[in-house]
Amino acid sequence: MLKSLWRIAFVSLLSVNVALAHNVVGGVYAIGTTIEGEAGFSNGDMAQAGTPVLITDAAGQAIAEVLTDEEGFFVFEATQRIDHHFKLDMSSGHVLEMILPAEELPASLPGGTSIASAPSNLTTTASVSGVDTVVLQQMIEQAVAKQVKPLRKELAAYKEKAGLQDLLGGIGYIFGLVGLGIWLRQRKQDKQQDKARASVS
Amino acid sequence: MHIVDGALAGPVLAVGAALAAAGVAYGLKKMDYDHLPQVGVLSAAFFVASYIHLPIGFSSVHLILNGLIGLALGWAAFPALLVALILQAVFFGFGGFLVLGVNTFNIALPAVLMYYVCRHGITASSPRIAGIWGAIGGAGAVTLTTLMVAGSLALSGEAFWLAAKATLIAHIPVMVVEGFVTAAAVLLIRQVKPEFLNIPEEWQDA
Repeated sequence: MLKSLWRIAFVSLLSVNVALAHNVVGGVYAIGTTIEGEAGFSNGDMAQAGTPVLITDAAGQAIAEVLTDEEGFFVFEATQRIDHHFKLDMSSGHVLEMILPAEELPASLPGGTSIASAPSNLTTTASVSGVDTVVLQQMIEQAVAKQVKPLRKELAAYKEKAGLQDLLGGIGYIFGLVGLGIWLRQRKQDKQQDKARASVS
Repeated sequence: MHIVDGALAGPVLAVGAALAAAGVAYGLKKMDYDHLPQVGVLSAAFFVASYIHLPIGFSSVHLILNGLIGLALGWAAFPALLVALILQAVFFGFGGFLVLGVNTFNIALPAVLMYYVCRHGITASSPRIAGIWGAIGGAGAVTLTTLMVAGSLALSGEAFWLAAKATLIAHIPVMVVEGFVTAAAVLLIRQVKPEFLNIPEEWQDA
């Protein structure tokens, strides 16, 4: 359980795609078979209500399209255990793409590319005590997901924020480049001077 | 101002990269290497400016400074902005590497144009007139960049006027602030370091 949690946290970090001047940020998380996602801008604004979210499989085939609500949230009920790709176009070149890998979805969903004719009766015909553990597992998953959600958000926001170190690093690079340019030029000038001196003597 | 990876069509990216490469090559050729430290300082200023978000009303904007860079550097704005944009992509995640060419071109070309438009204006003997030309340079560069961003998006299939209107309206505060900042910078530089703007010394005596 813990392992899969870490995986969820890690993947949701990865799935935060970086973008614009006001960067586009977002994330998708699986809670049981429900996929929750959000999209917005790095300055805190969320995606406009009614922004279409195109959901495709790994091959790019459309699965469904959902709309965001006023807070940039969207919900999708997964029916297959495959990689889900989410794409939002928030206008003016603000495009956000996110991926929810198949491993995050519960194993009870049918996998594969085709909408499988359902091995799902396997779980329903399983013994009565088996049903309990399935339900229990779903409950645990949901509870944990709820607890971890703020953490994930905070981590994503933290990762998105460029710090003073980045700033100083960038300035350092620029000054270094300038130094390099001046040094190269100086060397060239010295060489020319040497040559001039040599030809004089 | 930075367009993201994945928003533009392949041909637009290729053309943008080619144009930016040509601009950078020309800029490097035309650059006076005595001014290399200035190029670096302005490149650093551009790099930092996009990190500092000024809250305006319900939203926030950041300065672009491409007008000032153009006025001070002319064609050397291309290499200066390319370096800054690469570092922004690396450190801040602004833009991306595929769109680097388009972004460089969209931001650097208005800078160069403003250099030609306002070069004489900012060397006028009256500080008032110079300030006004500085403001025109600052605001004009942002406006042109906005239009070019909208144009890039339009070439990739988005409706031009929709995109242009959205970005233009969003950048009106930037244009105003940018105009003021550039005017102030021009006036200050005229006073303390006229050679920074390639201003001949004579105007002071005239």
